[in-house]
Amino acid sequence: MSAEHFLEIQGLKKHFEAGRPALFSRDVQKVHAVDGVDFTLRRSEVIALVGESGCGKSTLALLLMGLEDPTSGMVKFEGQDITHLNDYERKDLRRKIQMVFQDPYESLNPTQTIEEIVTEPLMVHGFANVPDRRERVVKAMEDAGLKPADVYMSRYPHELSGGQRQRVVIAAALVLEPEIILADEPVSMLDVSIRAEVINLLAELRITRQIAVIFITHDLGSVGFFADRVAVMYLGRIVEIGTMLEVLENPQHPYTKALISVIPVPNPRLRHERIILKGETPNPINVPSGCRFHPRCPVAIESCKASDPPNVTLSKTHQAACLLLVK
Amino acid sequence: MQTTVQPTIALPQSESRFSTFLKAFRKSRTGVVGFWMIVVVVIIAIFAPLIAPYEQRASASTIESIYQPPSAQHWFGTDDAGQDVFSNFVYGARVSLIVGIFAALIAVLIGGSFGLIAGFFGGRLESSLMRFTDIMLVIPDLPLIVVIVALTKPSLFNIIFVIGLLGWTTTARVVRSQTLAVKSRKFVLRARAIGAGKAHIIVRHILPLVMPILVVQAVLVISLAILNESALSFIGLGDPTTLSWGQMLNFAFGRGATSTGAWWALFFPGFGIVWLVLGLTLFGQGLEQVLNPRLDTHHLMAGKPSLSKDALIKPLYPNTLVEVQNLSIHYVNEGKPPAKAVEDVSFTLKEGELLGLVGESGCGKTTLMLSLLRLLPSAGQIVNGKVFYKGKDLTALSEEELNDIRWRGISIVFQGAMNALNPVRTVGDQIAEAVVKHEPKFPKDKIPARVNQLLELVGIVDDQREHFPHQYSGGMRQRAMIAMALACNPDVIIADEPTTALDVMIQAQILELLDDLRKKLGLAVVFVTHDLGIVAELCDKVLVMYGGVTAEYADVDTIYNNPKHPYTQELLKAFPDLTKPKKKLSSIPGYPPRLDALPAGCRFAPRCPAAFDRCHTEQPALHSIGDNHIASCHLVEASK
Repeated sequence: MSAEHFLEIQGLKKHFEAGRPALFSRDVQKVHAVDGVDFTLRRSEVIALVGESGCGKSTLALLLMGLEDPTSGMVKFEGQDITHLNDYERKDLRRKIQMVFQDPYESLNPTQTIEEIVTEPLMVHGFANVPDRRERVVKAMEDAGLKPADVYMSRYPHELSGGQRQRVVIAAALVLEPEIILADEPVSMLDVSIRAEVINLLAELRITRQIAVIFITHDLGSVGFFADRVAVMYLGRIVEIGTMLEVLENPQHPYTKALISVIPVPNPRLRHERIILKGETPNPINVPSGCRFHPRCPVAIESCKASDPPNVTLSKTHQAACLLLVK
Repeated sequence: MQTTVQPTIALPQSESRFSTFLKAFRKSRTGVVGFWMIVVVVIIAIFAPLIAPYEQRASASTIESIYQPPSAQHWFGTDDAGQDVFSNFVYGARVSLIVGIFAALIAVLIGGSFGLIAGFFGGRLESSLMRFTDIMLVIPDLPLIVVIVALTKPSLFNIIFVIGLLGWTTTARVVRSQTLAVKSRKFVLRARAIGAGKAHIIVRHILPLVMPILVVQAVLVISLAILNESALSFIGLGDPTTLSWGQMLNFAFGRGATSTGAWWALFFPGFGIVWLVLGLTLFGQGLEQVLNPRLDTHHLMAGKPSLSKDALIKPLYPNTLVEVQNLSIHYVNEGKPPAKAVEDVSFTLKEGELLGLVGESGCGKTTLMLSLLRLLPSAGQIVNGKVFYKGKDLTALSEEELNDIRWRGISIVFQGAMNALNPVRTVGDQIAEAVVKHEPKFPKDKIPARVNQLLELVGIVDDQREHFPHQYSGGMRQRAMIAMALACNPDVIIADEPTTALDVMIQAQILELLDDLRKKLGLAVVFVTHDLGIVAELCDKVLVMYGGVTAEYADVDTIYNNPKHPYTQELLKAFPDLTKPKKKLSSIPGYPPRLDALPAGCRFAPRCPAAFDRCHTEQPALHSIGDNHIASCHLVEASK
């Protein structure tokens, strides 16, 4: 198995029906939540998916987890097509791809103890009676930084702080020894002093356990230099993808440039001109013609309204979809 | 030097869920009263043979013993057959309770499964189940029960069955809506992502959260069943072989108790029914208050004006707009040590100044801001210190005087306030209302122009004025809230985490707006946040709070380039800085202190990498380092 084909996503689309524009109207409106996404993930690689709300990043996460069924396109895991598996066929796969959610206050059942929460995935996957069940749970908890595990086992989520709860969520993901962790805004609800803790934990896990991480966020700044590659999403598409340094230091798409310019820099001496885009991400029901970014683009030209820009290859690893880059 | 602090120290003692429930339930007075009312009936029912002086339905032989008034021999008198009413009353409690409990069991089982299945699976199954429920709901219960019981044999078993079969509709609806609410929560999605099947999710995740509501429903259905059984018996459709309270009423009423003036034969069984149903209702209400979190109320109430012990204290900086001097605020709860939310905090605010108030959640920053306008919850009290606004001492003003300053002098944009817009009125309407409410004398004909002006200030275009809040995005709603805060031309705006839930680009837009407004209108702004990056972009001065005290207070350049307090230094290291590639983020080990169990010395000492012995025993004073630079740290004192 080549490392290149660990997780492959090709032309993935998800359109939701949004009801009819008027009663008795024939055509059904569609929300183009994810509208043609391609990328690959290598083993133990960290990729950051960055975009504002409405760009489709959370829908993409649900598609990859098999919690939503894609409209078209393909997802391949270790060479196997996993796009349309049913719950039964997917069960084994779920062990290998685990998810960490945004809100650690909401994603834990308040009536379960920490031990029950971390043990649950084992029960679900039929490891309820393995002799080393308890050791597995303890190891997952301690790997997630809940040390010593005994102190936490009989607690309830409301007795823990936000950072500790997020560690519980991560421990519950680790207990199945996954190969990919999909983290959907895992730190945006946490205080700054605790964010670093969770990001460092994920960075450690990819080294100690060879876990690949898909890190979904609206704030490029919060990923820091933890990611290997960055993919910037806008209205259901990836508009720029490249290594972290390529994207951060040499952004090519005007949207990426704007996003990077508004990341707060914690030094008043480095206050700089920010490119503040007007308005907000348009409703994905009426996707603009041509380049979908052109109505908000500060450097748009006339032809942007008409033609959808192709992906321009800038280096072996760096691509951006902008007409201005086409030579 | 780096010390690893075990975060476990800060963990509170774990309490079993049952004992927390008991504690909360005891506070509900009606619930406790109802509980004991039920207990009395249950005891009577269980020990009936011991309590009752006579056998059940033991008839006296002589004609004189009919309708005897209460006496030492017959406490509740006798009935038409000369039977002891007290004994029949005691045995009747058994029948009523049995009917209530078993009928409720049937109803809750049916209603619970209907609600759970409909709520969880949704789709066609849900609509057919719920339509069926609706049909059952509109059929009047009692006439139907009467018909069914009349057609079948009126035995106790039949009665229980019929009441149970018709009493489940409300339970089904309540359970369905609770299931829907639980189903949409993130932990259910997480369970699906783990690979859990439907049965597992229902049993492990949905049921535990639906159960409390089911319990409350069961209690209420019991009382309903008892009432129904009494009504049935009263109209003569009760089981003739058992004697329930309803049956007793029926016999007394039908056999001349009213005409002979034997009130006792009617009063005692009637009283029994009222007592038990009332007890159940009160108990159910008490349970509901504790178990249904949606009934919890959180109100911000104006705190009592604090005692201004030292009316002589004068502002130190007469040229400032706002001056806070040594302010301390405690939350006082009965039987608990006070939570020292804010201790000895001072700062000043000049016209057009932008002050950043930075700290982690729970560090007292919101409490501090609410106290400026005395908007604290009732437990919060200003125990020391002064707040001056244009030379006036706000801690000593009366409520009415303070109302003049709220909104017109100082206004607040609350955290998450963008969700506080009324969904059924247009945004323009709501802003007009804010103008009228705070300035009743504002000329009516000029209001639309004023609303337009306010919306223009915050960058909302005219044609969106008539839109409803749901047509606005999060960023737009926050703009509308800022427009409302500006309604009365305040000098000071307090923005409490106004961008926390917003995307970076929208966040940048709102920050730009606040900065613009400050320049255009000369506003002074206090910007409360946990995000150091935003503060660096925007503010003139920064106040860093930790555990209720000032850690450091200085101008923005000093805070970022020459911080003296270890907390400020650590916080900066934890912040991802994209101008410094490949720098590893460091996090601050441990967690902020609980405000009701503060460490003896410096509040940051348990997490501080530079802490030494003195830090754990002695609270550091505020040390002035240079011009307008204050830090509370023993190291600062040592280096002077």
